[in-house]
Amino acid sequence: MFIRNLALLFILSTAIEAQVMIPEPGPSRPVAIPPITQTKLANGLTVRVVRKTGSPLITTRLVVANGAGVESRQKAGLASLTATMLTKGTKRRTATEIAESVEFLGGSIASGAGWNGSFAAITVTSDKLSQALAIFADVALNPKFAKDELDLLRTQTLDGLTYNLKQPSFLAGFVASRYSFDEHPAGGTKASISSINVPDIAGFYQQNYRPDSSILIFTGDIDAGLANSLAKRHFGRWRSPRSDAIGKGVGTSIGKGQVPLYRRIMVVDLPRSGQAAVMYAKRLYPIQRATPSFFTASVFNSIFGGGYSSRLNTEIRIKRGLSYGAGSSFAWRRSSTNFAATIQTKNESAAEVADLVLAELKRMVDTDTGESELVPRKAVIIGGFGRNFETGSQLAAALGDLFVYALPTSDLNSFIGDVNRVTAEQVREFATGNMRGGDLIIVGDYSVFKDDLAKRFSTARIDVVAADSLTLSGAEFK
Amino acid sequence: MRLVSLFISILFVTCAAVAQVKVAKLDIKERSLSNGLRVVSVRDGSSPTVAIRVWYRVGGKDDPQGRSGFAHMFEHMMFKSTKNMPSEKLDRLTEDVGGFNNASTWDDYTDYYEVVPSNYLEPLLWAEAERMQNLNVDDANFASERDVVKEEFRQSVLAQPYGRLFEYINSLSYTVHPYKRGVIGDLEQLSAATPADARSFYATYYRPDNAYLIVVGDFEQQQLDTWTDKYFSHLTNPSSAIPRVTAKEPTRTAEKRYEKTAPNVPFPAVAITYLAPPSSHPDTPALDLAATILSDGESSRLYQSLVYKQQIAQDASFTFDMKVDGGLLYFFAIASEGKDGQSLERSILNELKLIQTKGVTARELARAKNQLVSQTIVALETNEGKAEAIQDGITYDNDPKAVNTSVAKLQAVTAADVLRVMRKYFTPTNRVVIHYDNEGGSK
Repeated sequence: MFIRNLALLFILSTAIEAQVMIPEPGPSRPVAIPPITQTKLANGLTVRVVRKTGSPLITTRLVVANGAGVESRQKAGLASLTATMLTKGTKRRTATEIAESVEFLGGSIASGAGWNGSFAAITVTSDKLSQALAIFADVALNPKFAKDELDLLRTQTLDGLTYNLKQPSFLAGFVASRYSFDEHPAGGTKASISSINVPDIAGFYQQNYRPDSSILIFTGDIDAGLANSLAKRHFGRWRSPRSDAIGKGVGTSIGKGQVPLYRRIMVVDLPRSGQAAVMYAKRLYPIQRATPSFFTASVFNSIFGGGYSSRLNTEIRIKRGLSYGAGSSFAWRRSSTNFAATIQTKNESAAEVADLVLAELKRMVDTDTGESELVPRKAVIIGGFGRNFETGSQLAAALGDLFVYALPTSDLNSFIGDVNRVTAEQVREFATGNMRGGDLIIVGDYSVFKDDLAKRFSTARIDVVAADSLTLSGAEFK
Repeated sequence: MRLVSLFISILFVTCAAVAQVKVAKLDIKERSLSNGLRVVSVRDGSSPTVAIRVWYRVGGKDDPQGRSGFAHMFEHMMFKSTKNMPSEKLDRLTEDVGGFNNASTWDDYTDYYEVVPSNYLEPLLWAEAERMQNLNVDDANFASERDVVKEEFRQSVLAQPYGRLFEYINSLSYTVHPYKRGVIGDLEQLSAATPADARSFYATYYRPDNAYLIVVGDFEQQQLDTWTDKYFSHLTNPSSAIPRVTAKEPTRTAEKRYEKTAPNVPFPAVAITYLAPPSSHPDTPALDLAATILSDGESSRLYQSLVYKQQIAQDASFTFDMKVDGGLLYFFAIASEGKDGQSLERSILNELKLIQTKGVTARELARAKNQLVSQTIVALETNEGKAEAIQDGITYDNDPKAVNTSVAKLQAVTAADVLRVMRKYFTPTNRVVIHYDNEGGSK
């Protein structure tokens, strides 16, 4: 009796139900945004410092404001290989010496590239900082780009691609980069990786790694005075080349007017795959990262596919048991963003899951989200934002992101208010104006879901390619 | 070569002159309720959040006969309705207020954890007490959650090129101990599970005298004590004793070799396993250091030899997979394009022989200690990390304060200790070799 009442009350209002049994939360304590110190060296290098006590760790992160977005399609993966090569030897240190000396300090060093930027980062305890920075600066400023090191890295990268291209979700994203986003895979293709040589790497480095479009970030148990003097000592002599940095990539806009819920379907046939991956992919262009649209998009995503209780996961996993997890995200560029919802499911239910994704998308387009859903979905974003400041290395990464999007550090202080200002109507308008007209990409054992897909999507254009002979240059990709 | 050592010795001298950072000890409070629930807490007000964990001494090894994968599947049911709480209420109390929750099932234990704004500590304690005693298991929830777990199996085992190999590592390494079944189980036995199994499993293992509550973060000690008394002290234990696994894995007497295949395997791989001592054995710190020297970072022996110099492997690692009743020590390598599994095996055994005959250098040992100390500091940076470190002590050392002595134990290990454990456990008769390749041969 009591249980039935409780269940009924829950349907009517969670607030009433909470009063019946569950203790109320106490007053909340606000999350403190740590103060950020910023200076600029004479060579144009921006230096940002955030002191964070409680742990003796210090992270130093160098971020360069160009990444895969400025490499050509033929040389896809160049930004990533260039960043990785930084730790593979300098004029003074071999690759093994770099790894050994950093690991001897108990430190960790990493470098890599995304679409918008490239980075190198080192984390050590404060007693080892001075030795670690000497190695770090050498890695960032004096890379050797030796041929035998590149040969090994190229082989490793190709092996990694062969491995990943057997995984349905990776394959879906790989295909979407070209088919739906009009880009290229940031990790490269087998053809592009095979073609990258030492002059390519040295050229990319020369053109893009320059103090006037880079930032050096210190977070952790360090004060601004020490950080700035270390920055000057180790990075003060770094010079920019005379030429300008490579321009930012541009793309094409899609037509306005009557937009269908989705445009077309691509199937990548991976026989005997253990599961199918179902992806809805949509490119939004032009849309500036540094505008309120970012916050509307974030709230849209939190409702639709961001987090455990999002609509996709609720419908696909919690209610129907069709997947271990259904989710979505935006990958931002400076003036565009790529949206992808990805779900792995048994091959038999691939078409059903595709149907469910579109039904949820239609619901976002057709109806305003109620307050009782909107408020908690905003809390998910705000909570995740707060957790970004838990560790020094996370904080350094977040500060680096602000830099590549050319956002002011005050963005951190206004973030929570900006999320809270988004209205249900804005979310629906955003969905209607931007989220329709994407592609469905399904990777899996086509023989298992072919009939069901044809039945459920009888009028759709379906492009089918075989995973084994996949290139991103077939007619389907034009 | 000489240049390398010159560089190294300069660096070493510089290092020695710098004061070492100390790993701060956690101020750990322990108390027991009269029903046997143990409560462990650490106050840290540096951020307005609190990390909560409820740990149960029940894991994959306790799966009922013919129901492998059951403990893990049951873990999923713990998010469903209770007497006073609707299904997924835990998500309302965590995710909806900017926190998160999760749970995981291991061979030896199951944990349920949350990180929330600290003003939500009291509702969460209420909810954890509620699901410790008042869970409903209804048929509809059971059926749909079983489907979710089957998808989890497909995603982590079937859709991963090397997913099946990791199941073989368990099933072929143990002959008697239930560790051989693996935590995720298999599709057939998951399909056979019933709601009645779940009710019985819950009654048997989910009880205050089989659990720890761990709380780390922003709270007042007296307030926490009051709340734990209020919400947990009335919970009762059944009169039956908690069943424990008593199976003992026999000492291996001869090398065993296997060849396995699966679809969509891009490169041949090899796993070589050895039985390890129980987690609380005094050899554990020396084995941790051996694992670091062999496999942690690009200066490690396996990376340097198999990946960097010989270039026969794209990945070569060594893992000390600790378990309460005796885990595994295993090498794992995936071949590079065009290389074969046999040469991986030969090279791994070569590296092993090298370390067993010549031991490790002072520099290597110092480096491994620095790496492990730093990793401890990184792990303790968050409330969540501190709670997890305390939990590991409970699981593997039966000591919630083990985190405070782990660094001293590592520092006490000598090169002779590493040599001794490498000779003791890595014998040819204690060896299982598994070769793994694409169905129908390499592509």
